[in-house]
Amino acid sequence: MLIYLRKRIVSSALPLVVVIVGVFALARMTGNPASLYLPLNATQQMRDDFTARNGLDQPLLVQMADYFGGVLRLDFGQSLRTGQDAAAMALRAFPATLQLAATTMVLAVLLALVVGCWAALKPNGIADRVSSFVSMAAASIPDFWLAIVGIWVFAITLGWLPTSGVSGAGAWVLPIATLLLRPFGVLVQIVRGSMVSALSEPYIKLARSRGAGELRVVTHHALRNAAAPALTVAGDLTVGLVNGAVVVETIFGWPGIGKLMIDSILQRDFAVLQAAVLLTAVAIFALNILIDMGYALLDARVRPVTVKA
Amino acid sequence: MTSSSKPPFPALLKWPALASVAMLGLSGCSVANSDAGAASSNTVRVVLGQEPPTLEACESNLTSTGVVVRSNVTEPLIERNPQSGELEPKLATEWKATSDTEWTLKLREGVTFQDGTPFNADAAAFTIERAVNSKLGCNVEGYVFGDADLAVKAVDATTLTVTTPEPDPILPLRLSFLEVVPTSTSATEKVREPIGTGPYKIEQWDAGQKITLSSWDGYWGDKPAYAKAEYQWRSESSVRAAMITSGEADVAMGLSPDDNIGDLGVDYPNNETVALRLDANEAPLNDIRVRQAINYAIDKEGIVNSLYQGKHQVAAQLVPEGIVGHNVELKGWPFDLDKAKSLIAEAKADGVDTSAQISMVVRSAQFPKITELGQVLQEQLSQAGLNVKLKMLETSQHLTYQVRPFPDDEGAVALMTQHGNQAGDAAFTVDQYMLSTGAQSYFGTPEFDAMIKKADAASGDERKKDFEEIFAYQNDKVVQFAHISHQTGIIGKAKSVKYTPNSSSGDELRVSEMTPAN
Repeated sequence: MLIYLRKRIVSSALPLVVVIVGVFALARMTGNPASLYLPLNATQQMRDDFTARNGLDQPLLVQMADYFGGVLRLDFGQSLRTGQDAAAMALRAFPATLQLAATTMVLAVLLALVVGCWAALKPNGIADRVSSFVSMAAASIPDFWLAIVGIWVFAITLGWLPTSGVSGAGAWVLPIATLLLRPFGVLVQIVRGSMVSALSEPYIKLARSRGAGELRVVTHHALRNAAAPALTVAGDLTVGLVNGAVVVETIFGWPGIGKLMIDSILQRDFAVLQAAVLLTAVAIFALNILIDMGYALLDARVRPVTVKA
Repeated sequence: MTSSSKPPFPALLKWPALASVAMLGLSGCSVANSDAGAASSNTVRVVLGQEPPTLEACESNLTSTGVVVRSNVTEPLIERNPQSGELEPKLATEWKATSDTEWTLKLREGVTFQDGTPFNADAAAFTIERAVNSKLGCNVEGYVFGDADLAVKAVDATTLTVTTPEPDPILPLRLSFLEVVPTSTSATEKVREPIGTGPYKIEQWDAGQKITLSSWDGYWGDKPAYAKAEYQWRSESSVRAAMITSGEADVAMGLSPDDNIGDLGVDYPNNETVALRLDANEAPLNDIRVRQAINYAIDKEGIVNSLYQGKHQVAAQLVPEGIVGHNVELKGWPFDLDKAKSLIAEAKADGVDTSAQISMVVRSAQFPKITELGQVLQEQLSQAGLNVKLKMLETSQHLTYQVRPFPDDEGAVALMTQHGNQAGDAAFTVDQYMLSTGAQSYFGTPEFDAMIKKADAASGDERKKDFEEIFAYQNDKVVQFAHISHQTGIIGKAKSVKYTPNSSSGDELRVSEMTPAN
């Protein structure tokens, strides 16, 4: 297992480096932020001063070497926009995103398990058809549209929830509901699919013939074997949430890492963008390792064959 | 055939549950710890389009910074009345030109900064040195003062002299852009949270969430009605509008006519003018007839009425009414498609390549309905027979087209520009947009440059007349611009608040002018 872990870490670290280098280079290809930060009628001298002060006049490789040197000393640079420490800004924003993503995924998994199992009990029954329709719809509605409609219905028309912000428990409902639908829709279909095939396995018939109750058959026998694919997909979906809460965070004014990244891109705030991407990439890297480990624990076929003494 | 290992069933649930608990635990500073709304009658809640990057006083001509800081936290020596356009005393009580290049200001007595230190000529001199003469790279330096360094001298505690390298008749207006800070402010670094002499001081800035100002007991002027002001920010204007209708905010900035806010939306002239800037260096825009044809081909009335519900006004020049130099005689070009077509045909007959592509460069989300406006303009210019390609760009890319040096491999460019006139004097417009070397100008003529230089140095009625002539001359002889409309801004205002926005509200939202309705 340790060997497998090490292998996974090594193979996942490469994309991590590629992402960081890529973001560094791509950000700088979008142009000099001087035009954004200096007044429109700034003189060439002011532009040159700005460029030199921020080290943007150096060759890309030198800038990159400086950056990695800084990263090793845990110095991620300063925000051009706010003058604050870039790493501090990223670290401050990250928990908000993690809280949102984690809560969303817990709810999505629980709901999907219940609905998916219920649908699988009678393939093509009414429950199956309804849940299939609902989950397909849930998986395909765009976040942006859903967020705006949610605000319109629940905040403005009914007045039950706040439109946005982070004040009080009510503020969590709309962002989570918006984020929840897609993973829920996808997971219902996965759970249903693997449950249908698990329920038709001989050992289920055997369990039933031994007089096991339906609930016990589903939870103790079938679900245990149907779980692995759902777990893997849930992991991937969590990665997507951590990375892609941009729209939801922007609309609801949720001070998370997605919003910080978008703001940093639009503001050409390189240091903050790099810190945010680095933090997210490391989190996704760690999450992927956890998912793989979890998958390996659940399914022996995934584990590498190790010679036993 | 399945695994014989024993993944206990609950492990399936344990994973996300554990992760969730761990994550919630990790984030000691939960986002859900804020008080719920704080809708008390002594707090006014304002929602902005974006979080200010900084509240640094010398960056206060950035809209997002100035709207919080100007005349709330810090104050200028002199202020411009947004209604009359006249300069009025603030921290300076009087000022006069004591020679061609020297101005003398008398300062208000009995004013204290929020840190307890007294306001005097030293602080005023320090403020000017710091913002204009230093290497801080303050926005206000380039925007208002250009490269000119000023010589400042504190004659005594309440007298200040300011000397300019060249005669500058609008120095007091320029000084109105400087927010005064105490000498304890760093002269070598920008500060995020300034100390000022204003009615409010910064109480707390929860980065990413909100800024709270609280009224300051030592203020020299009248005590404001609200004890606190809370600023939040939401990038979607529909969400800002919804916060007003749902009672989550009292004042919302930057709404659009589409936000369905009804009676709670208050219109105000925001001093912004929309125009196409035409590049006369490339065919077909290098022929004045083609540039005139563009002016004839745009149905400005139609655009104002259909896209902006009649709230904007058709523009004939870059500055709206109320700005020194606005020429009331000028009328928007009439919509005349036939005339446009015949002008283009004439140019074509003379050998101009009228089929050459024109890139219409438009900044996404710069103002409401800008995408639709770009599409309408593209369609109307195509009707006249021009070959227009619409290029929607984000701010940073757009700026490369807006400011010199311009991209030189693009062919002809028609750039959609939204020009702000917050400074109140046409000099801030024509120097940038019309001088042949202006930072935002594609071209000009030596004769036109001379007219502009003359107007810049003039004062009083002569100055007004000179600038009026400049706007007429541009429409007649230069035609670098196809003006579209003077915009109207919309502020959302809950019934709980009394406030009347004016032309400066978008840049300087004075909390002291707001009172509870009951």
